[in-house]
Amino acid sequence: MSTKDILSEAIKTGRENLGGGECRSIFAEAGIPMNASTFAKTRDEAAAAGDQIGYPLVMKIVSPQVVHKTEAGGVKLGIRKREELVAAWDEMMKQVRAHHPDAHIDGVTIDEQLGGVELIVGSTRDPQFGPLIMFGLGGIFVEVYKDVTFRLVPITKGDALEMIEEVKGKPVYQGARGLPKARPEELASILVGVSKLVQENPAIRELDLNPLVVTPKGVRAIDARILVDVTAK
Amino acid sequence: MSVFDSFFQPRSVAVIGASSDPDKVGYAVLRNALYGTIAGPADRGRGFDGKVFAVNAKGADVLGHKSFKTIGDVPEPVDLAVIAIPSQIIPKTVEDCGKRGVKAVVVITAGFSEVGPEGAKLEHEMLDAARRTGVRIVGPNCLGVIAAEKRLNVSFAYETPPVGTISLLSQSGAVCTAMISYAFEEHIGYRHFVSMGDKCDVEDAEVIDYFAADEKTSCIALYVEALKQPRAFYEAARRASRKKPFVVIKVGRTAAGAKAASSHTGSIAGSDAAYEAAFRQAGVQRARTLPGFIDAARALSSQPLPRGKRICVLTNAGGPGVITADTLYDLGLELVKLRPETIEKLNPHCPSSWSHGNPADIIGDAGPERYREALRIINQADEVDGIVLLMTQQSMTQPMKIAEAIVDVIPELRKPVTASFIGQGGEDAENFLEERGVPEFEFPERAAEAMAALCTRAEIVRRQREEV
Repeated sequence: MSTKDILSEAIKTGRENLGGGECRSIFAEAGIPMNASTFAKTRDEAAAAGDQIGYPLVMKIVSPQVVHKTEAGGVKLGIRKREELVAAWDEMMKQVRAHHPDAHIDGVTIDEQLGGVELIVGSTRDPQFGPLIMFGLGGIFVEVYKDVTFRLVPITKGDALEMIEEVKGKPVYQGARGLPKARPEELASILVGVSKLVQENPAIRELDLNPLVVTPKGVRAIDARILVDVTAK
Repeated sequence: MSVFDSFFQPRSVAVIGASSDPDKVGYAVLRNALYGTIAGPADRGRGFDGKVFAVNAKGADVLGHKSFKTIGDVPEPVDLAVIAIPSQIIPKTVEDCGKRGVKAVVVITAGFSEVGPEGAKLEHEMLDAARRTGVRIVGPNCLGVIAAEKRLNVSFAYETPPVGTISLLSQSGAVCTAMISYAFEEHIGYRHFVSMGDKCDVEDAEVIDYFAADEKTSCIALYVEALKQPRAFYEAARRASRKKPFVVIKVGRTAAGAKAASSHTGSIAGSDAAYEAAFRQAGVQRARTLPGFIDAARALSSQPLPRGKRICVLTNAGGPGVITADTLYDLGLELVKLRPETIEKLNPHCPSSWSHGNPADIIGDAGPERYREALRIINQADEVDGIVLLMTQQSMTQPMKIAEAIVDVIPELRKPVTASFIGQGGEDAENFLEERGVPEFEFPERAAEAMAALCTRAEIVRRQREEV
C-alpha cells in the first residue's frame, strides 16, 4: 500500500498508531533505509527468511492482540543460526499462547540485527510553528542527554548538514575511537527525506526513527513509529 | 508611501489624551513629542522636527499649547496619532482617526484582551473600527514609538535615545526604557524604536520587513515573549537576515519563564525548541541575556565582520588576558598563534618581558605609543581575524592618551575590535572610545562575547552565500 493509502485507511478506522509493516512501507517509499526484514507465516518460511537475511537476527511476533511483545515472550534477539531460529519459533509460540490464549497469531517478522552507535530522527508538530524535525543521539541517550537539535520543516540539505554538526556528541558518529563513521551526505538525505515525508503528509502527527544505527555498511533505521492525526482530512 | 513611513517618518503627529497633569501618560507623551524629554528643559528644538497637535477632550491649553477637542478638529493633516485615553472610548477614537485620514495609530493604553473577556470585546471593536476606516494599530498596552533621526518620541520613555543605526522592536515597554538608559551610559545610538505591546494588529513580521528595507538601519534587534504569527515572523526574519544582522532575545525559554510570560501578556509562549530552530534557520542570532543582546547589537552595528574565528587579545596585564582567552575558548573562538614575523614586528615596540605570544601582553607600563603600534601590527597580521583590546588601570597608565592612540588607528582598521577598559578611573577614555564607534565594555568577558557575536554573523553570511 502507498503512504497515502495507509494514512487514509488509518484515519478512516481511527487508528493512531501505525503497525511495524505499515511504517516500513512508508519509510521505504520515502527512501529511508531500514534494516532488512521479512514477514513469515510458518516456521519453514521463517527459516528460509533467516537464511536469506543472514545472522544474527531478531524474531518478533505479529499479532494484533499482542501489543507488549517483549512481556509476552514475543521478541527473540541474537539468533545466530538456523537451529536457534527454529527453536526460537517453537518457544515463542508456546510463550505467546500462554500469555494470550485467544490471540490470533499472523506469524513473525525476521529482522536483520544491527549493532552500533544509535541515532534518532524524529518529527513532531509544534502548536505554533507546525512540523519540526529533530536529529541527535538516539537509544537511551536521547532521554539522558537530550543531545538533539531541531529545525522547522521543510529543511534544505544545508540545514541538515548544520544539524549534523550541532550535536555535542557528534564525535561518536564521526569516527571517534575507530567507531563506524556516518557519512554526512547519507544522514542529510535521511533528514531531508523525513522532512519531505512530513511536509507532504499532514496526517503524520509524530514520527520516530529510533534507533537509527551507524554500521560500516551505512546508516539503517531498525525501529520506527508513526502516529497519525486521525482528525486530519 | 508605506503605512510604516507614517509610523516612523511622519510629518505631523497628534497626541490624543494630551494632558497638563504630570501623573498622566498623556503628559509624558506630549512632553516627549514637544521636547524629547519628560523632566528636562522645555526646548522645542530638542523635540519632534515636525508638527505636534495636542488633543484633549476638554479643549483646554496643555503645556501652554492650544489643544483640539477631537482629532477631527485638527485643521491640518495628521500622519501619526498616539492614543493615551481610557480604553472604553478608544474604538470610537480610532474610527475618528480613520475618518480624519490618519492611517497610523499607536495605542498606549492597556486594558484590552490581556484583562479578560470585557477587554477582548473592546479590542475587537477597536480592530473593527480600524479595518473599516483603513487604520493600522501598534499596541495596545505599549510604551510608544521613537524615531531618533527627526527626534520623534511619542512614548512615555524618560528620554529620547541618541541617534544611531540599530532599530529595535520590543514586546516589553520596560525593556525599551532599560535599553534607552543603557543607550546613554554606553553611547549606543538607535534609529527606530517600537514598543509592540500586545500586537493586536501590527505584528513583528511587517515591522521587520520595514526595518530590513530601511537603508539607515544597520542592525535589527528584537525582544520577544510570544509571536502571534510565527511562520510569518520566520519568513520575514529570514528575508531580513539576508540583508543585515538580526539579534533576538526570546524570553520564556524555561518552563518557569514560559508561565510568567503567559500571565504577563495573555499570550501563550511556544515551545522553545521550535523558536530556537526558527532562529537558526532564519539566520537570526539569539542572545541569552539582556547584556548579551545589547552588546551584540552594538558590535554588529559598529564593526566590520571578521573573516574567521582567529582572535588576538591585546592587553597590558596577564590576568584579564587569561580570562579573555578562557571566554573565547568557551565561545568556540580560536586564540590564534601569532606568526614569528608578527612577533618580530612587535619586539622593537615592547620591553623584552612582553608575552611574545597571544594574549599579546605588552606589559603594565604600556603607553599610548606602544598600544598604537601594537594595534597597527596586529591589524596587519594576516593570521588574525579580530582583536579584543584590553586595558587595565595601573599607576602609570594614561587611559585617555591610550584611547586617543586607539582612535588614531581606526581609519586603518581592517578587522573588528571590541574593547574593555577594566576598572574605575577611565570613564572619560571609555566615553571617548564609545563615541567614536569602538564598542567598549565594563568587563573583558563581554568584549569577548561581542566578538563572538560578530563571528556568528560572519558564519551566517557565509552559509547564506553557500545556499545560493
